[in-house]
Formats: sequence, structure tokens, C-alpha cells
Amino acid sequence: MNANKITYAQLLETNNLIQNHGDESYWLCVTRTVQESKLFPVPAYMMLSYLMAYYRYPSLFRKIESRMSAEELGDRARNMGMKITNPAMSYAPDFYLFGREWLMNMGVVRPTDAVEDLVYVMDFWKRFQLAYHRNDAHITNKEFGHRSQVVPERQLQMYHADMYDCKAGDELHEAAHAFMAAASQYGFLVSCESRISLHNDGPYKLDDNTQLIIRDFMDLAESDLPWLDDAAEGVEYNNITVTMAARDCHFYLVDDWGSFESTPEFSADKLVGVGLYCSDNLSDGHVPLGMGSREELIATFRRLTEQVREATNKLWLKIAGWSRDQMLDAGAITYFAICKDLAHVAGVYDPEDWIKVDERAERFRPLLNDEYSRDVLGDLCTGGNPTQKIQEYAMMQHGNANTRLYSLIPYAILSGEPYTATSGPIYPGITYLPQKKDVYTTTRGKMSYDEYNRLSRESIPTSLRPEFRHLCDTWVKYNAHSDLANALYTTEQQQSRRLRGKGAGLTRADIAALRKA
Amino acid sequence: MTRLYVDSDKFGRANASPVVEAFHSAMREIVRDKLARSGGHWESFVFGKSFDLVTADDIRGVERMLLDAGHRFDWSAAVSPRERPDAYKPAAGVSDDDIDTFSFEHPEAIVAQADAEGREQRGQGDNVAQYPQNCVGTARYIRSPALVLKYLQEGVPEDTIAIIDDSGGTLTAPILEQFRGVICAGGSTRSHLGILTREYGVPCVMNAKVSGIRQGDTVVIETTAQPKTADDYQSGREATARVWRIAK
Repeated sequence: MNANKITYAQLLETNNLIQNHGDESYWLCVTRTVQESKLFPVPAYMMLSYLMAYYRYPSLFRKIESRMSAEELGDRARNMGMKITNPAMSYAPDFYLFGREWLMNMGVVRPTDAVEDLVYVMDFWKRFQLAYHRNDAHITNKEFGHRSQVVPERQLQMYHADMYDCKAGDELHEAAHAFMAAASQYGFLVSCESRISLHNDGPYKLDDNTQLIIRDFMDLAESDLPWLDDAAEGVEYNNITVTMAARDCHFYLVDDWGSFESTPEFSADKLVGVGLYCSDNLSDGHVPLGMGSREELIATFRRLTEQVREATNKLWLKIAGWSRDQMLDAGAITYFAICKDLAHVAGVYDPEDWIKVDERAERFRPLLNDEYSRDVLGDLCTGGNPTQKIQEYAMMQHGNANTRLYSLIPYAILSGEPYTATSGPIYPGITYLPQKKDVYTTTRGKMSYDEYNRLSRESIPTSLRPEFRHLCDTWVKYNAHSDLANALYTTEQQQSRRLRGKGAGLTRADIAALRKA
Repeated sequence: MTRLYVDSDKFGRANASPVVEAFHSAMREIVRDKLARSGGHWESFVFGKSFDLVTADDIRGVERMLLDAGHRFDWSAAVSPRERPDAYKPAAGVSDDDIDTFSFEHPEAIVAQADAEGREQRGQGDNVAQYPQNCVGTARYIRSPALVLKYLQEGVPEDTIAIIDDSGGTLTAPILEQFRGVICAGGSTRSHLGILTREYGVPCVMNAKVSGIRQGDTVVIETTAQPKTADDYQSGREATARVWRIAK
């Protein structure tokens, strides 16, 4: 049927990427509780999203890459808090692979189907991840022992220098803590009960007893998600980043799904420093919010807290009036479109691509009652389906069962076993949700999606300019005295309260001294 | 008969869930039938003819098969039985209609006679965060958006200890801050509700196994107990806080 376009080396690598994803996803699934909700039919919308991912991601990734490579997207992702970091880019292959596995169990596809799609999706993901993680030189947080250190020194120095001290009971501590609580809660609601609006990166060592975690709160304002139309009209910023210094606790786990664990457990009294930023692909890095003075920062946290509280109430009332199909659509879109910011960064975003249910996936909606969805999701996540059982001498990485979460591609396709290449182009989509307003909140104001795409295509972040793009921390180590290194650092420092014009020669101790001055 | 790839699976076993097994068997039968009708050529069927041949109506018939056999589905989202009461098991405790007679009855709830302070133990749960005092308040069940909406409009009574079986963070989002305490029958201290109550400083036990607590009862949560940590869950270490009802 197909002339063999796929090589043995490609298959070996693809199967390795699939297996690594399966090992980690199994562990992440079984160490969390099943997320139930009396408001949203969570397992049902998750299952629908997996089919949407299976049928659309290959075409959408190819469309994105026709404008910008996965490697460049990964490079850009390091300097903004959009949904192209974790958990977005960690989850996306899982959604695709879960869709494939589920369809296989229903007999709808074979492990030998859409093989070129599968090889491409995993390769796209790998190239993105390697670029995004280039500073810690891993492909995932899992590979790094559940640690995430994607940010370069020049950016960390800015966070460190400009952060304001706080302690339990003072006004800044209360304001920052109240914002993070309200934004977390709002994030769960925006994301239909999932935690995919939240991301944590780190830890980074500020001193021997203090660690930095960078927390992103994403998709907060009127933008891609149709249900935020009007409800989130008063939310100023779509993506907000809080830098958070914690003393007397060690963050021993920052996983690929954006969560952290620490010992002893992180509690509010351990929060000793905060900073506040917004960003997107038009902002050229992180823009300080209210960081001119301590008083301004307190006021900014309070203002943003009120904005998300008001939006929470409006959004909850809107959702409480929805039909089940609308809830299913919103949840499925939230999951499926977890990586839609790739399209924004590349300047090829189209709401038809990302906020509609592909009609091939839509066919399966009648299966998705609460009980079936709960049970089949549980089986998929723990390897309980027939396709997930492998030969009986085998032992999986976690749990020792003869189970594999995601089926590998049979190598026999290289020696004549028939296979199919692709699931085909994007099919039309449907939605039960109201028509999306053509309003997108960016760091350059509210605009139409045409305008947003145009500006995205024109936008080249300073750090991606040809003279800077490949200047990594390893190069800076030996060239901090050079004009080029100073130019790189002073560019980053332009918006910094304490570092403006200081250049590339500062050490962490110098930053600590500057903070005391 | 047309055979599918999965029909010759050497290692696979049936799904543990009878509903999943029934649904998947029926789906495979539909695919076999449509593949045979299309001429039996898989490569032209799988991403071509099957999109026209395997339809939503076919798939709707899969669920109908179970409903016609008398099965009624478990529900998790309140909207599901509200829209299709014929397809789901009856929903109790989701409105004012029966809230006064409703109670969670967990078979593993530890119950005991009243102590010297008049406190009858009615269960236990995983403490989210430790506080200097135990949490005392009035039990109010909250299991549906309709009940949240009522409190949103009328205000949450000041002393409310919400009894919830939703470990998520969205159902009670607009009123969570107003609770004196939370007893949640699901999840763990790492669930969204656990995370949010800790952030808001609202005393809470998750994974609560309680029995015999009715709407309006005065209850006490042992929030002075040690919190249950991620390490406790991973190592299987027991660490629970008690839930008492004040004897009437």
C-alpha cells in the first residue's frame, strides 16, 4: 500500500517517545485522585477531547510548522507564560495517544494506522521540548528527576533583583497570597475543573535556604475561550506570572503536568518574596506589573484579585445555566486546545481549528454518559483496556503489571505489514456554545484575531534575533565580558527596576547585594 | 465474518467495567458490519468510508441497547440526571426537596457514643491543613449547582460547614471563601478543593467517611490533627482527623 517512507530509526525513536510518555503519564495518573465534579462531566469531556486531538493535531501541527519550526516555538516559549510551556506541551501528545488507544479498543483504528501522523506528532513534540528545555538540556521534567529549569540566567537575575520581600501578616504577603488563591480558583473554573491554566517552573536557588518558583496563570481574559466573552471583560491581562520565593522548604518535585511538591509542605508562611509580570508572544518577554514600588505592587495584586473574583462569579453563573452538551464542548475544547497558543505564536491561529469539535470526533458523543466515561477513562489511564496488555513476562516501569499505556507501532510495517499514513485533513467542526466574539486580549490591547495573527507574524522577540538566539548560558560563562553578552543582558534588563544597564557580569551574590542596597 | 485487528489479540483481556465491555463489543460489531458492507478493504475504510458509514445514529444505538436492557447509569455531574432522568440513577440530596432527610452513609465511617463533651464521632477524613482550634459549625449539604445558586443569592449562613462530595474546585467556586469549614467525601488533600481550601484558610477534611450527619446538625472537625501529606498517601500511612456531631 504505502511506499515505505518511514525508516527503522524513526520507528525506534517514535516508540521510545511513546513509551516514555506512557511510563510517566501512568505514574502521574495513579499518584493523583480521579478528578470528579458535580458541575462538569469531566471524564466525558476528556474522552471527547482525545478524539479531537487524534483527528486534528497532525494537521494543525503541520499548519503551525509551515510558518514556524517546532524548535523556534520552543525557543520562544522560554520567555513567556503562555500555554506553550507545561502542562500544555506535556499533555498534548498524551491526548493524541489516548485518542488512538481508545479508538483501537473500539476496533475503529489499528496500531498500524495513521503511522506518518504519529511519527510526525511525536517528532514535533520532541523538537519543541528539546528547544524549550535547552538550558537544562533534558526533554522533560521527568528526565531531569522532576525538575524544571528552562529559564536562562539573565531572566532569573531580573526576577531575583526586582522581587519584593514579604512575610506572613504584612500587606504585600496578604495581597499576593489572596491573588494566587483567587487566580487558582478562577483558573480551575476557566479550565472546566482542570488545572491546565496553571504552570510552575523551577525550583531555582536564590540562596542556600531560599528557592524560586515561577508560577504562570494563563488564559484569564477575553481571548480564545468562548465562555470568557463578557464574563472576563474586566480582566486586564490574559497571562500573569508570579515569581515566588519560598524559604525553609525544598521543592523536590516539579512535574510535567505543572504541579509541585515540597518538603516540608509549602505553606503561606514560607512565602518571603514576590514579583508580578504579564506576557504573551507580542510582549517581548515578561513585562513587570506594579513593580515600581512596594505600594504599587500591593495595589496591583488587590486590583487583579478583584478582577478575577468578579469574573469568577460571572463565569460560574454562565456555566451553571449551560446544557450538558455545552459543558462537554467547553471541557473538550479546554483540553484539546491546550496547545493552541502554538498557533498564536506562529501567527496562524484560526478559531475554526481550535474551538470546534471535529465531526469525526463528534460522532462518538452519544457514548459519553457519565458512567461509561468514568470507567473507560479509568481503564485508559491505568492500562485496563485489552490493547494495553502486553506479553505476560513483561513488567511495566511502575507497578510491575504486563501493561503498556500506549501501544507501540509494530515494526512489521517495515517488512510488508499494511499500514495507513494519515487520518486526513481537518474536517468541519461543530459547537453547542455561542458564537465566539472576535476579541483577543493581548499585551498590546484587545484586537481581532486577524490583527493578532498579523502582529504575531511580524513579532520577533529580541532574544530570537539572529545575533542573540544561540547565546546560551554555556557561552555566557566564558564571554560575559564581551560586548555581545552585555548587549544580550542589557536588553533583558531594560524593564528591570534594579538591573537596568548593569550588563552580563553580575553574579548571584551581586544581585543579593543590590537587593540590600 | 469480517475480522478486526483486535479480534486476534493474544494478550488482551476484557475490560473490568461491564459497561465499557458492552459498549466496546457493540462498537466493534458496528465496525465489522460496516467494514464488510464497504467491501472489507481496511485501508480505504479506516479514514475514508468509515466516516460516512459509522454514524452518530449507530453509536446512539450502543447506549440504547443498555438502557433497553434496564441499565441506568451512575451520574457524576448534576446536569446529567437533570437532563436525562430516564437514563441515570435517581439523584438524591441535590435540591431542597429532600435535603433535610439526606445524609452520606459511608460503611467505613467510624462512629462512637458521645464523649464527656457531648461529641459523637460520626466519621473521619484527611486533614488538609492544621489549625490551632477545631472547627465548629452547622452542617449543610451542597451537591448541586442549584444549591450553590441558592446560597449565592441568599448568602451563605455564617457558621456553615459545607458537606460536599465534589472534590473539584468549581462547584462551590463563588461561595467557597464563605464556608467556616468543609467536609468533602471525595478526593485527597491534593485535590483541587483541598488546594483551594488551604489557600483560602478554610478548614477542610477530604476523603471523609461520614455517617448520620443531617442538614442543620452541629458538627466539629478535628482540624488540630496532623495534615495528611503526599508522603502519607504514597507510603499508605494512615493519618485521619475525626468528625463529630454534637449530641442532640
